[in-house]
Amino acid sequence: MTTKSTMARTSARARSLGRPAPGTRGKNRLNGLPWILPAFIFVAGLIYYSVGYTVYISTLDWDGLSPQAQAVGLGNYTGMLADPVFWGSLRHTAVFWVVTFVVQTTLGFTLAAIMHSRVKFATLHKVIIFIPTVLAAATMAPVFRLFFAEDGMVNDILRGVGLGSLAHAWLADASTALPVIMMITIWQWTGLWFILYYAAMSQIEPELLEAARLDRAGNIRTLWYIVWPSCRGTTVSLAMLSFIGALKTFDVPYLVTTGGPYHSTEFLGTYIYRMGIRQAHIGYAASISIVLLILAIAGAILIGRANRREVGE
Amino acid sequence: MFEVRTLRSRILLQVVLALMTIPFLLPLVEMVRGAFAGRGFENFVVVWQTGVVPTFFKNSALLSLAVISLVYVGSLTAAFGFSKLRVRGKEIYFWLMIAALTLPEVILLSPLFVTFTKLQMYNTLFAVILPLAALQLPFAVLLARNFYDGIPSELIDAGRLDGASTAQVFWYVIMPLTKPIASAVVVLTLINTWNSYLLPLVFLQDRANQVVTLLPQFFIGQYSNDQTKILAAAVMTAVPTILAYVLMQKNFERGLSAGALK
Repeated sequence: MTTKSTMARTSARARSLGRPAPGTRGKNRLNGLPWILPAFIFVAGLIYYSVGYTVYISTLDWDGLSPQAQAVGLGNYTGMLADPVFWGSLRHTAVFWVVTFVVQTTLGFTLAAIMHSRVKFATLHKVIIFIPTVLAAATMAPVFRLFFAEDGMVNDILRGVGLGSLAHAWLADASTALPVIMMITIWQWTGLWFILYYAAMSQIEPELLEAARLDRAGNIRTLWYIVWPSCRGTTVSLAMLSFIGALKTFDVPYLVTTGGPYHSTEFLGTYIYRMGIRQAHIGYAASISIVLLILAIAGAILIGRANRREVGE
Repeated sequence: MFEVRTLRSRILLQVVLALMTIPFLLPLVEMVRGAFAGRGFENFVVVWQTGVVPTFFKNSALLSLAVISLVYVGSLTAAFGFSKLRVRGKEIYFWLMIAALTLPEVILLSPLFVTFTKLQMYNTLFAVILPLAALQLPFAVLLARNFYDGIPSELIDAGRLDGASTAQVFWYVIMPLTKPIASAVVVLTLINTWNSYLLPLVFLQDRANQVVTLLPQFFIGQYSNDQTKILAAAVMTAVPTILAYVLMQKNFERGLSAGALK
């Protein structure tokens, strides 16, 4: 934990000094261009080339292989507006973001607060909660298909506690498939949320907590009025991270439900894959990709700006 | 954070913690239970005897090594340039790179598919190495630059006064100080690369160059009705990752949390 707090402090110091960093304006500086160019050309070359190419493809009606691609202008984009599956994936993404963010934040924050209290076997609990974060979604997908199947562990447990009437094939039911996808995501990422809140709580001045205690503030009040506001920066970063993460969602829905049943777990990522690779409507897939990219950049800017404004107050 | 004085409240807290942790364990229990169902350990023997497991692991290792090298060298040198050297218009270069952070990899599929097919690179590890490295470099640069910004520039000036070249300053002054951030970059890149799924799925069609994340899919094709073999394969891919994490807890946690926060 010490290293983590050192790191946080270092970057805080860097920020307070402002960019460009001190010393960069000295007169004897050599040209730094050769140092940044290799990475820059590599990243910008590959990524901006791809984005530019995608913009171009998005104006075509093309299967990706045939020599005749038909230019359709903005046809793919207007088609999107009338495509219920596209709107469905946007809706799923929004629900998915809000639910996973709220649940992960609640769980991660609570767990971090508990682990900062005097509890036994803290490391063991931490390892169990963090393991899902390091495992590949691809590895766990078959496990979750079994876990939520008719004869899986979830139904075993429900029957065991007398809730057998709830037992069913969770992933085959269009009304429960999306909640299951969200649960898997929460299972996977709560560990990271927990670690970050834990680090943020280590930075709170002990005097602040002492003062609250002297004022006879209870545990809940202390958590709500002192600890939670102190973790604000972490919460905002996680909001942005989970927003972009929600837009990028692919592995879990693709591997666990392939977007089904009846597109009930379709996300932008899985829909782009389905259209572009499976059905070879590369032009249409590219136009959805562009919308996705615009949403990601706009969202990141909005959240970042909202944060800066509140901090400035 | 919770102040617990009485024994009762301490027990209560411990119970709450256990109840919150158990759901995280259940899927792992299910994985092991499923893998040993039916014919027990023999499931693992059968999976191993298909002979593909070592190949998939070897390819994942190669892929990770290549991506880590590219990201490591690229990010440390670029971050040094961005943080400590004079570059005209450097913030423009910097933000052009950082904007790539929001890029979903699915966007790369169509253009890279078309391009790699033309360049005869489709179905080779390069088709995955290049985009993965390009996607992870911006973040590593951001991390390393924030870290370098905290290193006093006087150290560099002192090196200069002693007549060292920029390269010598980088090598002898900066590099020894970068261990914490370099290990965060390595771990973060390793996990992201090892666990990457979409790009290998699209660009690696030959069994000979597929990676571990494609292993469950392979066994689903192989034993479509035998869940136990598929789960045995899942256990085999999960164990090395869990071991690596348990042995290097601090590094993993630091790397991933550095990855989440700027």
